[in-house]
Amino acid sequence: MSEPALRLVGIEKHYASTVAVAGIDLEVHEGEFVTLLGPSGCGKTTTLGLIAGFFPPTAGEIYLKGKPVVDLPSFRRDIGVVFQDYALFPHMSVADNVGFGLRMRNVPQPEIAKRVADALELVQLVGLGERRPLQLSGGQRQRVALARALVIKPTVLLLDEPLSNLDLKLRDEMRIEIAGLQRRLGITTVFVTHDQGEALVMSDRIAVMNAGRIEQIGSPDDIYERPATRFVAEFIGRMNIFFGRVTPGRDVLTAHGLVITAPVPNGIANGAEVHVAVRPERSRLTQDKPDAGLALKGVVRQVLYLGATREFHLDLDGGERGLVETPNDGGAVAFEPGAAVWLAASFENCRVLPEQPVTPHPSPLPIGERGSCRRKR
Amino acid sequence: MRRSFASRWRAISGPWALLCAAVTCVYIFSLGPILITAAVSFNATNRSFFPPRGFSLRWWERALAPEWIDPLLFSLKLGSLTAILSTALALPIAFALYRYRFRGREALVALTLGPLMLPSLVTGVALLQFFQLVGLREYIGFGALLVGHVVICMPFAVRTVAVGLHTLPPNVELAAASLGATRWRTLRYVVFPLIKSGMVAGAVFAFIHSFTDVNLSVFLARPGELPITVKILGFLEFGFAPTLAAVSVITLILPLILVVIVERVSGLGDFIYGDRDRV
Repeated sequence: MSEPALRLVGIEKHYASTVAVAGIDLEVHEGEFVTLLGPSGCGKTTTLGLIAGFFPPTAGEIYLKGKPVVDLPSFRRDIGVVFQDYALFPHMSVADNVGFGLRMRNVPQPEIAKRVADALELVQLVGLGERRPLQLSGGQRQRVALARALVIKPTVLLLDEPLSNLDLKLRDEMRIEIAGLQRRLGITTVFVTHDQGEALVMSDRIAVMNAGRIEQIGSPDDIYERPATRFVAEFIGRMNIFFGRVTPGRDVLTAHGLVITAPVPNGIANGAEVHVAVRPERSRLTQDKPDAGLALKGVVRQVLYLGATREFHLDLDGGERGLVETPNDGGAVAFEPGAAVWLAASFENCRVLPEQPVTPHPSPLPIGERGSCRRKR
Repeated sequence: MRRSFASRWRAISGPWALLCAAVTCVYIFSLGPILITAAVSFNATNRSFFPPRGFSLRWWERALAPEWIDPLLFSLKLGSLTAILSTALALPIAFALYRYRFRGREALVALTLGPLMLPSLVTGVALLQFFQLVGLREYIGFGALLVGHVVICMPFAVRTVAVGLHTLPPNVELAAASLGATRWRTLRYVVFPLIKSGMVAGAVFAFIHSFTDVNLSVFLARPGELPITVKILGFLEFGFAPTLAAVSVITLILPLILVVIVERVSGLGDFIYGDRDRV
């Protein structure tokens, strides 16, 4: 692969009392769609602001197409940003909003008109060029913001939770539309979200962030199927987590005295405490003790009907909780609350994860306010 | 049914009638004297009578003589320059005070807005002494008046510009920067248009405050460089002649016309009705 479109090396951002970004290395290749996913306060929006140049990093280097840009002001970086609140210019028409970046680049007027018209067509806003942003719906404003960022043909497109202000149905539409647009234009994109669904559907790769660091980076499939840490496992989708200890034979002995023969990652020493993780939809409920694989005894506490699926919430012997998700195949409910059952899963579906303390998150701030933190002294 | 309407009417008519009476009183005392003054200016006699005796325009003729027109034009010039200078200074000050956090900010806020609370009489005396002690005696007159008026008028402009900055939609400046706008072009194309009404409102307030000021001006004026208010005050020592009535009406109407024009051209209403035009 040639020079990555965007490269972050050891990026850190400290504020007076907190560390927002604690060291990030990331490469985004030409045309790639990378999502920074994490809970509020994990540093993902700050990272985006650092790439955009809204405030300088405390340490580290940022390269755009191989060129170091940390010392370049935002307006020289050639990046497109779509903000969570869109940040359209209320005193300008839609066309002037979209054409703003071109005017700042001193593109001649006739060409601006043409490129603005093309951009509006791209986001399906033909004929709305003369409107003011205030006269548009939320979804339309979103499209204007997108067109405004795309029309300058930026090196990298940065999207800061652009879907979170839309209602559910529109969000689903826009998520597919943005991903489609990104692929058609082949534009390198960094997308920030706390919504795992958006991340899984839209991304080529997902970087899961926690407490200012990237916990794991990989394809949606990697992240979901092969989470590297307990945090990633629980943040994306849901997980049954059981405690255990690594035996000298490289198996895991759980608190219930069950031996789990799932592969133990190399980094984990013998005798170390570990988590055994298994997805609810890869777990089964059985009446009798299964012959092989994971088997934990418990009682059904609650059954939730979700239409396409059913969820069985279990109280396991030993005090842990279990969750089993079964497809709704039209048959009768196999187990009622109070029934004694076994939670079963094959060892192939079990992941052994290193012990990890749960980290608390600082409260989130939108980009603009972060910017002003720099000035507050 | 009918009775209930009647009783309801009685129930609300008590406070309602009181309110009407209060509002009427306010209008009588605020507009009445002005109307009487206007009427007095058309007296045909040598003294002020109300209702006017006879009708003549001779007092108006005198009011339009250079003796009165010159101070009036002087006040207009002073007020306009004060408005422009106050607003120009208020812009960077409001930016610094309300956008950045730095040591000594509180003190600077107090210093900037102080003259708002201080009697301008005191500012006037202080400025007079200052100009004399520093050896700038020859600037007493227009120069000193301009300095004094900017000092007392700028807080208004700072406040209105600050309100404009507060209601600026978040992130628009970052958006402009990301689209390639330098700091200056961001100000020019995004910030200024969005805080324009705050700036105009500040300028109008400053102008009105300058035009109507007498407390400060009385100390810093000198013959030939008299604002109209000081001239009127001086003339009052010889009693209230109908000339004064005519002058007062002109003094009242001129700035009013100016404010209406500015309001029409720039849409001051935007400022008064807040964030009507914002996303």
